[in-house]
Order: sequence, then C-alpha cells, then structure tokens
Amino acid sequence: MEPLIQFRSLEKSYDAGGSKFFVLRRINLAIQQGEFVTIMGPSGAGKSTLLSIIGMLDSAWTGEYYFLGEAVHQLNNKKRNELHKANIGFVFQSYHLIDNLTVFENLEVPLSYKNVPHKERVSLVCDALDRFHIVGKKDLFPNQLSGGQQQLVGVARAVILHPKLLLADEPTGNLHSAQGDEIMELFKKLNDGGTTIIQVTHSERNAAYGNRIVQLKDGWVVNESAAATVQSA
Amino acid sequence: MDTIRQDIRYALRMLWKHRFATFVCAGALALGMGANTAIFSMAEAFLRHPVPLDEVNRLLAVVDSKPRQNIEKTSVATATYLEWQEQALSFDRLGAYSWDGVNFTGDGTPQKIQDFRVTTNFFSTLGVQPHLGRDFLPEEGEPGKNQELILSYGLWERRYAADPKILGKVVKVDGRPFTIVGVMGKGFDFPMSAEAWLPMAFDAKQRVDRDDRPLWVIGHLRPGGSFEQAKAEILTIAQHQAAAYPDAYKDWQVRVLPLGEFATGDLTRQYTLLLLGAVGFVLLIACADVANVQFARVSGRQKELAVRAAMGATRGRIVRQLLIESVMLSLFGAALGIFLALWILSVILSHMPPDIARYIAGWKSIHLDFGAFLFTFGVALASGLLSGIAPSLMSSRTNISETLKESGRGASSGRARHRLRSVLVVAEISLSLVLLVGAGLLVKGFNALLTVNQQYRPESLLTLNLNLPELQYPQRSVRATFHDRLLQSLSSIPQVQSAALATTVPYGNGGGTDADRFLIEGRPVEQREESRTAIMETVSPNYFAVMSIGLRDGRVFTDSDGDSTQPVAVISRSLASRYFAGENPLGKKVQVAGSKPEVWLTVVGIVEDVRYNWIQKDALPTLYRPYRQNPTYYTTVVLRTDDNPAKFTSAVRSKIAAIDPDLPIYEVKPLNQVITESIVGISYVAAMMAGIGIIALVLATVGVYGVMSYSVSERTHEMGIRMAMGASQGAINRLVVGNGMLLTVIGIAIGLPLAFALARALSSLLFGVTASDPFAFIGLPLILGAVAFLASYLPARRAVRIDPLTALRYE
Ligand SMILES: Nc1ncnc2c1ncn2[C@@H]1O[C@H](COP(=O)(O)OP(=O)(O)O)[C@@H](O)[C@H]1O
Ligand SMILES: [Mg+2]
Repeated sequence: MEPLIQFRSLEKSYDAGGSKFFVLRRINLAIQQGEFVTIMGPSGAGKSTLLSIIGMLDSAWTGEYYFLGEAVHQLNNKKRNELHKANIGFVFQSYHLIDNLTVFENLEVPLSYKNVPHKERVSLVCDALDRFHIVGKKDLFPNQLSGGQQQLVGVARAVILHPKLLLADEPTGNLHSAQGDEIMELFKKLNDGGTTIIQVTHSERNAAYGNRIVQLKDGWVVNESAAATVQSA
Repeated sequence: MDTIRQDIRYALRMLWKHRFATFVCAGALALGMGANTAIFSMAEAFLRHPVPLDEVNRLLAVVDSKPRQNIEKTSVATATYLEWQEQALSFDRLGAYSWDGVNFTGDGTPQKIQDFRVTTNFFSTLGVQPHLGRDFLPEEGEPGKNQELILSYGLWERRYAADPKILGKVVKVDGRPFTIVGVMGKGFDFPMSAEAWLPMAFDAKQRVDRDDRPLWVIGHLRPGGSFEQAKAEILTIAQHQAAAYPDAYKDWQVRVLPLGEFATGDLTRQYTLLLLGAVGFVLLIACADVANVQFARVSGRQKELAVRAAMGATRGRIVRQLLIESVMLSLFGAALGIFLALWILSVILSHMPPDIARYIAGWKSIHLDFGAFLFTFGVALASGLLSGIAPSLMSSRTNISETLKESGRGASSGRARHRLRSVLVVAEISLSLVLLVGAGLLVKGFNALLTVNQQYRPESLLTLNLNLPELQYPQRSVRATFHDRLLQSLSSIPQVQSAALATTVPYGNGGGTDADRFLIEGRPVEQREESRTAIMETVSPNYFAVMSIGLRDGRVFTDSDGDSTQPVAVISRSLASRYFAGENPLGKKVQVAGSKPEVWLTVVGIVEDVRYNWIQKDALPTLYRPYRQNPTYYTTVVLRTDDNPAKFTSAVRSKIAAIDPDLPIYEVKPLNQVITESIVGISYVAAMMAGIGIIALVLATVGVYGVMSYSVSERTHEMGIRMAMGASQGAINRLVVGNGMLLTVIGIAIGLPLAFALARALSSLLFGVTASDPFAFIGLPLILGAVAFLASYLPARRAVRIDPLTALRYE
C-alpha cells in the first residue's frame, strides 16, 4: 500500500537578515495509513512547523511532499485546499474554538466549507455530539466550558467529517492529566477505527498511546523509534 | 499633575500610533461639526436675527390669523389696533405700519417708490433714530398734518446723490407736497425693501373700522415685561373685542410672535429648518463614526488595560487615561471643524449676488455662531467620551485574569460590543440614505425648474424695465405711440430678431406677481371669500411668439387689435379651466375690476400657462390684453437676439435715448440672469443639500469600512481557525462582505420608508419633486449599497490574506 505521507528532502527556512534560518532540514519521512505517530523534541525544534506543512496550512517550503501519491509540491492553492478539506482534521493546544459561536455552531464550521446540505449537517453534528457525550453542551459558548470540555469539542470538530488524517499539536498541553488521558483514549479509539494520527507532545505518557516516535531537534529528524506499549489499555 | 502630563504624552503617542483611526475620527468630527456650525450660524441669522435691530429680542409682532381659511398671519383692523394701544400695559410702545406705494414727482424724474405708512411712534418702537434729521412728531399723526417723510439711506443716495442739505426739501408725493425731515441710517430697511416712510393718520371712520385690516402691529416690551405676559394680555383684550363685536371677529384669531420669527419669510423658514434637520442627521452620523472608532480603539486594548490593572492601576486612573485620549481627539476634530465652518460660511456668503442678499432678511447678520459651535462640540465630545469609556467600564467588571489568560477572551462582552457597533452602522446607513434621497430630490427638482424655463430659450433674451412718467405721457394715445416707436426702433438693431412688450416676464420682478380681480359677464360678483383673480399682462402681439408660449385655441393678438377695434383678451389655460370649466371661453366677456373706463373684453384666445416663479406649484391664471388697447406706464421690454444678449445693452440704451432722452430704464439683464437671480435661494438649498448628502455618504462609508475593518482584525484568530478548517479564500471573502452587506441592507430597509416620508414632505414644498422618483428610491440606494460593498470588500481582501499560521500562533 502506498504511504499516506511521503517527504523527500523537505526544507523550510526563514529569512534572518540576509541569511537563511532553517527551521526544518532535509526531512525524509514516510507515514503509513493507520499509524499513530508522535513527534517529540525540545521547544523550537520545528514540530509545529512540520505539522502545519503536513496539514497544508503552510506552503512556503522546498522539497517533495506526496499525500496519497499526489505531489503536493506541484499543486496550486486551490487544489491543496481541496485535499486538505477532504482528508485532514486539526486539533490545537489552545483548542481554537470560535468564541462567538456555540458548541453546535463550532462543530458546523468545517461542514459549512464542504457544501454539506443543511439536513445532513445537522445529523452529522448530532452524531458527533452523541459520540463525544457533549449533547448537553451544544448551546453553550466556548468560554462557558472547562478546558477539557473545550478540547473535546475541538476533537469532535476535527473528526466530524471522518478525515483520514488527524493532526494534533500538543492537544493536552493545557489540560490536567486526567483530562489529557481522556483525550488520548479518544485518539486511541479513533486510530483503532482507522484514522491516521500525528500528534506533537512533550509527554512520554501520551507518546505511549502511539506506535512510533519521531524525534526532532533544530529542524533535523534525529531519531525514529517504536513507542513503548501503553501501560493501561 | 505630573501623572496627567504623563497621561497626555501617552495619549498623544496612542493617537499617533493609530493615526489612521485618529485621522478618520477627527475628520468625521470636523465634517459633522463644520457643516452643523455653518448651517446653525445661517439659521441663527435667518430665524433669530432677521432684522438688524438691537432691540430685536424685546420686540413683538401682533397679527391676525384665520385658521379656517389657512391664513396664518395677516394685518389687523384700525379699531383693533387703537384699542390694544389704549389698553395693553405690557408694552411701552405699540406701533404699526402698512404697505404703500407712491410716485415721487416735482424734483426730477418721476419715480415709483416703495414706501410704508407708519405710526409716528414706529421708529421709537423699533428703537432706532434717523441718521440725518429727526423722527416724526406725535402731532404729525393727525389727519391733515401728516405732510412729512423720512427717506431710506439707499433712496437718499440714489435719487438725491446723498445731498447733505436734503432736510426741508419739498417733494410731490402722488401730487401732494411733503417735506423731507429725515434720512434713516445705512442698512436700515424695516420693513424689508422700504425706501421711504410717511406718517399715517386715522380719520374718524378708520378709527372705528374693524373690517378692513391694513395694519401690521409691532410692540416693544415694557422693561421687566415678558413675552408670555404680553401675549396673555393681548389675547385677553382680543377675547373682549370678540365678545363685543362677534361679527367682525368671527373665526379670527390673534397671534403674538417674536419679531424675528415674524420677519422671516415662511419659505426661508421651511428651507432653513430642512437644512438644520439635515445637518443634525450629519452630526448624528459623525457621532456614530466617532463612537465606532473609539469603541474599536478601546476594545482593541483590553489586554493592555488588564495588564495595567494587574500592575495596580485603579479603575479611575484607567478611565482618566481614556478620557484624556477622547478629549484630545475631540479637540483635534473641533479645531479642524471650526476652520471648515468658517470656510463653508465664506463660500456661502461670497457666492450670493448682492442684489439678492439685500432682500434676504437676516443675510447681513450671518457670522460664525460660536454657541452653535460649542453645542456641536459638546455633542461630539459626549459621544466620543461615552463610547470611549463605556467599554472600559464594561470590561473592568469582568475578571482581569480572565482577560489576561489567552483562552478567556471576554467573548460575551465581545458579542455585546459587536452588536452595538452593528446597530450604529445600520443607523448610519439609514440616516445617510434619508439624506441622500432628500438631496437627490432637491437637486432633481431644481433641475426640473431649469428645464421648465428652457422653453423660453432665455439664453438669447434681453429684458429691461421702463416706467413712463405720468407728466410727459398723460394720454393713452401718447403712450401707445411711444410703445409703437420703441418696438420699431429696437427691432431695427442688427441681430435683434424681434422686440416685444409685456407687463412682467417670467421670473421678472424677483418672481413676484400681483393678481387683480376680474368680472365675468353674466355671472354674479363673487362672494367676499372666493376671489376671482388673475395676473394682468399687457403685451405686444408678438410676445407669445417671442416667448414660445403656445396657442391652444382661438387666436393671439394681431397688429389690428387697436384702440378703435373690439376690446379683446387672451386667457391662459389655467384661467380657462378654473373659471370656464365645461364651457367654451371663446367669445365670453371679462372685465378687469376697477378698470376705467369699464370695458368688457371679449376672449379671443387661450394660450399655454407660464410659470412666473419657482414658489408656486400650480400655474397662475393670467389674462392678457393688447398694448394698443391698454397702454401702460410700466413695461418690460423683451428682445430676442441672435447673440449673447448682454452685448446689446448699449445699443438698446441709445435707441431709447433717441426716443426720450429723460426716460430711465433699469434692470437691463439677460433673462437667463433674471431667472438665475430669482432661483439663487433654492439653488443654494439644493447645493447645500447635495453637499450634505455627499458628506453623509462619505461618513457612512467610513462607518462601514471602520466596522468591517475592525471586525476583521478582531476576528483574525477566527479567520485562521476557519482556514484551518478548510475555508477557501472565496469563503472568507464572502463571510466578510456578506456581513457588511447584511448591515447595509438592513440600514437601507429602515431608511427607505423614512426617505419616502421626507419625499412626501418635500414634494409639497417644491415644484418638480415627486415622491415616487426612481432615481431617488432605486438609484441612490444602489449607489449607497455599491459604496458599502467597496467599504467591506477592502477589509475582506485583508481577511483573505490572513496567514492561518500566524493567526493561530499564540505567544
Ligand atoms: N515567522 C517566523 N519567523 C522566524 N522564525 C520563526 C517564525 N515562526 C517560527 N519561527 C521559528 O521556527 C522555529 C520552530 O518553531 P515551531 O515549529 O513553532 O517549534 P516547536 O513547535 O517545535 O516549538 C522556532 O525557532 C521559531 O522561533
Ligand atoms: Mg509548537
């Protein structure tokens, strides 16, 4: 089976007063469908940057990027946007829910960009509310929820269209460990259901939920290893 | 003290940092305040100081009215006045005047003079003294002793070359000798356009007359007396009079008015109020703009303010900081605004021809009204302060640490703020639509006025007036011969196509028209209340052709309509339809009331109506007679030329001098100029309304732009999330523009019915304005919508360029 993601010599740099400041260097990486990958590394290593490139939010880089065999580096913005919409969900450290929308409306946001008809939208949102046990919260605004609940909504929003790939940048960084575990269990279940997951985390405990760890340092991939098995399953 | 200086320095830095917002805000303030102050200053002059009298605020006019017949103010009967003068204690002087018109002869060219008959206490009531000579003496108000007169400064200059030895000179007034005893000061022209004042005397019959109403009554309040007291007293006396003479006063009602209000023309008043209302709207729109910008400025600084609070700033300190910024911004706007107001006033003043300004009550007292300036400044400042401080008060209620935490962004107060700003924008849009429609209708109406006059092709017409002196031209035949020679001589000038005569041409005489009563053979003399009147024109046969006045039925005059043939008349279409409805007027006979000898005129033709001025919405019935059958003293000559009519002035003068070297001719002007001068007032209003409409459009656009632009920057984070969720550029664009257009559409939906109501009011005010004008009600909303679209499209483009990476990075 062809890999979900294939990087060849991917590089990203910023202009730093004439000279180039590299954030990512010669990344060669393949991620297969169904994997649960954890990216680790010190702050400033380039983890978030890598995730954004995978998620096609960032297009200012060089090298080759194949997504399901499709050459992303050759696509225009519109095509990338379509690929992104069709396949990728995002979960953020600071949840990034829209303040002025209710939980229900926040869940609707990705649907509204995929021309899902109204009836189907409502049923998809209701499904998600059910699946994540947040039906009672559907009319609340984000600032009326706890951090864990907000992140639950964030995950629900990310997977509402059953993306092939879920990207999560320190999803539990702002949460207590109990809340964090809940999110991780959720990820595990999604992964078991076939969703490929790439997460960034500092926590060994979270990393243990995945099956492979990629270590980044100063923009280089320094080590790849299988994850330790989950202690409590 | 030191901390205040620090606050000021910081405020300046913040204003500079957000200089675009500062400039927009100050600009909006300046426009609103400048326009308001200028119009207020004008209104002040027109409505409150239309008479340049020191005592104007102690002076009242007492008038009669008859609401049942829509008579709002008219003069009073002699007996009524004399009883008031006797009984009323609230006044120290109660004087009166009546309109008059006389001929000066016996000392040079005979001249028709606009004089007023006044009671001998008239000038002392007004609190003025003659510039030369003396006031009238009390005994000069007795019958037989009233043989003195006082000249206006203007007449003294024009007729007597400002002769310093004028006092004591005797002049024949309508044939009777009068002695000049005084000359009033320069610029004193009350009642308006007065050239001379003659004492009035009441005979025994007049002293008890309650039916004829010739007197305009002016009172000066006793020291310490108030307007209300005087009013109450007069009304009480009037009640007694009505009880004693129920027949004479049936349906009549006495009204007491401040002299200023009395002297302002009703039209001036209506249009001034219209302009005042319009600039009031502009001020509101400007305030909404200021509020929006201030709001945005402060709410964009929630975090800064929270940090300050966390550092120990009290709420008072924070409010003071914001207050200082608001005040400085308003001062900046006010400084710009006062220059703008001065500039607008100077433009208004310098473009009014002096010939016209003379007849506008209050024109001379236009100057920057500092009170109005302070008032608008106060309103602007208050709106700035309220909108600048309200958000900070709102937010200091919420937890500071909430604000500081990156996830707690005070979303609920954000929603409230956003809603308030949207409401402001909707209000701005609807107000500016109302103003735009008002301006559009006025400008269109004004254009319609110009178009109506195009039928005369006024650009090639020269008009002039002459007045044959009675002494040299006593007989009809002499006058007719003069007119014959005049027409012949003038039409022989090269490049003059034809020369014609009329009593008054359209828009001549300042648009003023005098209607006279007439009789119809076989019909009873009309009742007192319904008047059968028409404008009386004496014309040469070619007048209709020269003015392109179409013939509808019968014939116009010919050269054979002379003294020895049947007396004939041509009537206007409106006269035919009003007085001969359902009949054929041709062959019917009419007579001008009071004409000597009494001749019945046979109606031989019906012509199209002519519009004499822009004030009357309906055509005025007109009755034409041929000049050979009714040779007049006063005539207007009309020349149709092949070239610029102004070029013929000297040729015309020399031709007329060749016939009668002593005959004065005046008002030699192209008809175009006559028309322009006559409509200069309404053109002012139209131009000012257009200016106000454009200002409103600009301010509303700024408002939409400001709100959408702020909303985009406030929602950068949201836009980032939406992009991360797969929103394409088009989707983001639609989101922002859609938001702006939603507000615009709501604003237009609210504004349209208001605009329609205004249009109804305007259409009753001005000829040519229709309440169902497609340009006003479809075109202007579309323009407004298009401009608002642009104003939200620009911020949308910025939203599209948001980089989701940056937007989502928190640090
Ligand atoms: N806009 C930018 N300009 C310059 N350098 C940047 C910019 N954005 C991020 N960086 C740098 O890129 C590096 C990687 O950042 P990031 O991917 O956020 O690291 P991580 O998520 O591993 O902590 C950091 O050193 C950061 O300073
Ligand atoms: Mg990071």
